[in-house]
Amino acid sequence: MNLTLGIFIAILLVTLAITYWAAKRTSTTADFYAADSRLTAAQNGFALAGDWCSAAAFLGFTGLTALYGMDGALYALGPLVAFCTVLFLIAEPMRNTGRYTLGDIIRSRMQTRTSLLAAIAGTVVVNFAYLMPQMAGAGVLVRLLTGISYDWAVIFVGVSMIVYVAFGGMLATTWVQIVKAVLMLSAGAIILVMILSLVHFNPLTLFAEAEQKYGAKYLLPGNYLKNPFDQISLGLGYTLGLAGLPHVMTRFYTVPDAKTARRSVVWVMFLAGAFFAGTTLFGLAAADFVGQDVIRAADKGGNLTLPLLAQYLGGGKGTFGGDLMLGFVAAVAVATILAVVSALTLSTSGAIAHDFYVNWVKRGQVEGKQEVWLARIAAVVIGVLAIALGILAQGVNVAVLVILAICVAASANFPVLILSLFWRRFNTGGVVGGMTVGLVSSVVLATIGPAMRGAEALWPLVNPTVVSLPLGFLGAILGTLMWGRDAENERRFDAFLLQVHTGVTSN
Amino acid sequence: MARTEASIEAAHVSVRLLIAEKLRYLVPMTVIFMVGYIGLTALAGFAPDLMGSRVVGSVNLGFVLIAFNYLLSWVLAIVYGRIAADKFDPLAAKAAMEIAGPGKSR
Repeated sequence: MNLTLGIFIAILLVTLAITYWAAKRTSTTADFYAADSRLTAAQNGFALAGDWCSAAAFLGFTGLTALYGMDGALYALGPLVAFCTVLFLIAEPMRNTGRYTLGDIIRSRMQTRTSLLAAIAGTVVVNFAYLMPQMAGAGVLVRLLTGISYDWAVIFVGVSMIVYVAFGGMLATTWVQIVKAVLMLSAGAIILVMILSLVHFNPLTLFAEAEQKYGAKYLLPGNYLKNPFDQISLGLGYTLGLAGLPHVMTRFYTVPDAKTARRSVVWVMFLAGAFFAGTTLFGLAAADFVGQDVIRAADKGGNLTLPLLAQYLGGGKGTFGGDLMLGFVAAVAVATILAVVSALTLSTSGAIAHDFYVNWVKRGQVEGKQEVWLARIAAVVIGVLAIALGILAQGVNVAVLVILAICVAASANFPVLILSLFWRRFNTGGVVGGMTVGLVSSVVLATIGPAMRGAEALWPLVNPTVVSLPLGFLGAILGTLMWGRDAENERRFDAFLLQVHTGVTSN
Repeated sequence: MARTEASIEAAHVSVRLLIAEKLRYLVPMTVIFMVGYIGLTALAGFAPDLMGSRVVGSVNLGFVLIAFNYLLSWVLAIVYGRIAADKFDPLAAKAAMEIAGPGKSR
């Protein structure tokens, strides 16, 4: 395990050097939240890949495929398809309309304080629901790999993320994500080549061996998600939820214009998509070579499948090659968590410092210099809170929170965002209605479902998106109609559309 | 920046044309990927046996459709990039120019 620790320390030193470099270049609010909007399409594409592939993707998809066959492959496909929605409908309007946060868009469309408050609620709930399981996952992972205690592991990850964000802002976060993406893709490429060389470059062999070992049922859907509506919820949650995740969408503010935003989505679709496709082959290979019994013995949920596979490919337990591969993959997993929690902390600090304090409490009357410091302080406070929540989450079933994050993003943030961009009559009542109904129905249905209550569930679906998403839209539409016509808001929509589609303001 | 009522109105008209053009391409493209992926999850949920029918060796229809969805997403991304550059960007540039008023190229 000393090798693993060595690779960890190397990654930590690199990221701290990045932070030192970034901190010297971060002085204005635009630097802090958006890296001064000067990234290239390729840089942002890699950063998006680093941002979007959480540990759930890096470790989880391979494990799900190894243990449950096709359901794991279906899980891995969703996050790629999700970028179609973002590419067609969201990325360019985001870039043209907002500056630092999701709240910026709602605020510039509605120009009311109430709608801004609703947008802040959506961001904070989604981000914390996403952040807490990441912290808990980091604790488990770092403990497993280095031997330090869970609490110290959470503190280590939390302090690192606070340092990156508070000192280096978006620029440090971006480069941590890029480094992580490069490491992740290299690890994936090496593992893929090693697997293929074992099966004489015929991937069909992986399927045949898996079928022989575990029977035809292994390659059928339904081994993991038993309820057919859960399959559809999964699809809907991914395809529409990504567009409502503030920590990913704010990445579009880091590029100079809509064309670059568009090209960066194409980059991430090839980079992350290739990795997701790879996880299906990794999972099958792990089931074939490592075996489900060994995988389950190491971790019931299969989260150590990829490290185990890497160890096997490197030469097995106890060999230098095996230890090296295991250490490399383990270190990438930790880098993955660091990249994602940093983005979550940064985006939450935007919602608290920029949306809430500066724009809601102070009505925008805050000097630039002061705003940067507010953002840094918010990042520290959010980081400390995340550490505390991470420590409290030990042993608690946090799976429900992962589902909740994506479900709220799809059911509350997405309807409000898409209707803001495309519906003239949509108004403050609609923002509040959509956000409230989407949020409440997601939280209630997720907590009374099997993810939280197991066999005593009051409701059959693990993931309630298939119901809560239409409810969110319904809430948004009813809220709009009940609020009544808002002539001023509707008249302003032409100018808003001009900005959404060209980036030019008409006043 | 000579922003007159007339130039603003002209720009708004151009934006409406741009949106109509966007809808013409984006509605079918969105329908394609949504039907492709949500359809796949629905088949996985309601027709697992159909998904299990063998296609090549041990590879069944489900895995073939999954592979197809990867290709579809990548093809749509490339196609969108080209359409946006060829059709949308010139219209957006036109609207942006009009708002700046006659004779201005912003």
